[in-house]
Amino acid sequence: MRTEYSSTQLDALREIANIGSGSASTALSGVLGRPVDISVPNALALPLADAVDAAGPADAEVTAVVIPIGGDLDGLVLMLFGIEDAQRLCELLGVDAGTEIGLSALSEIGNILGTSYVNSLAAMTGLELEPAPPQTVTDMLAAVVATVLSASAGEEDLALLLDSNMHVEGEACSLTFMFVPGPAGVDEVLGRLGLAE
Amino acid sequence: MDDVVVVSRNVRMGEFACCSAPGDVLLTIGLGSCIGLVLLDQRTTVAGLAHIVLPGPRVSSTREPGKFADYAVPALIAQAVGIGANRSSLEAVLVGGASMFAFNAPGLSSMDVGQRNAEVVRAELEQARIPVREASTGGTKGRTVRVHVADRTVMVKEAGGPELELWTGRPVSARPRRGVPA
Repeated sequence: MRTEYSSTQLDALREIANIGSGSASTALSGVLGRPVDISVPNALALPLADAVDAAGPADAEVTAVVIPIGGDLDGLVLMLFGIEDAQRLCELLGVDAGTEIGLSALSEIGNILGTSYVNSLAAMTGLELEPAPPQTVTDMLAAVVATVLSASAGEEDLALLLDSNMHVEGEACSLTFMFVPGPAGVDEVLGRLGLAE
Repeated sequence: MDDVVVVSRNVRMGEFACCSAPGDVLLTIGLGSCIGLVLLDQRTTVAGLAHIVLPGPRVSSTREPGKFADYAVPALIAQAVGIGANRSSLEAVLVGGASMFAFNAPGLSSMDVGQRNAEVVRAELEQARIPVREASTGGTKGRTVRVHVADRTVMVKEAGGPELELWTGRPVSARPRRGVPA
């Protein structure tokens, strides 16, 4: 069980997240026809409860799109939209938020971004990855993140979260993008980068 | 009750805690597949809450054994007894164990984590001879649980819904005493 990550390892993982989320934001920009800004990603290695806290206010209502990554990597990518961000994004897509069509549109955005991120990851690492279809829920932030972390890293003392924020320029519309590799996935990626212990 | 200090104790993933002061509130926010295990004592104002993540068996090298049901259930019981609860009068309420997503953790069978957590927690409680009085488990929504120690009430809120009373234990002081008219 991994008990720590070196700063070199975290830097490398952050760089991967940077390239992946750059790819995802370009995809989003393409769909919306507007520029999308991204923040510098965080690479956080934290005990599970702290990782949940780091994601944001526990009882905030969010729409989450989860894409399990299959193939050579265990893990998933997760997109989180706050209520107002989800509404604004639906408006930008020309659909009503809070309807089945709205949820479907958000799911599809998640799919496009997630697939873009995963493809970018595959290109960088040489791994063969097969993203699964997206699953979309609207729920409390802490419940979503805790459930996702339990499934991918529940038995580990440290969860690894690579997250970045994306913002649609000129709009009150942001989303958080998280890459959560499972323990074997982390070793695999670090190994490909020549940084496994 | 103006002079009672309300102390809210937030129990996070893998943690557990017991309280006994009248103003205490035990709280856990965002139970997805996790199980919130509430213990209440019929005879004293001791209450406990554990936020259990996985069925177990616990990983021996872990620094956070409280995540695993096989550790957390006996540990919570021991902690409650340690601050004055009577083991023989403990009762339990279960919250959580939802199935929010259709994927499975590596190493677990095809039965989903939430359901498996509820099963193992119930089995541990049965082994400890502690009855489960009420449960709000399964489904697809996250839950928040709040335990009011003084009046032994368990409140549950589902994502997007109102806070509702799931269960309340008989107040310790309301027990009828011999020779006093009802």
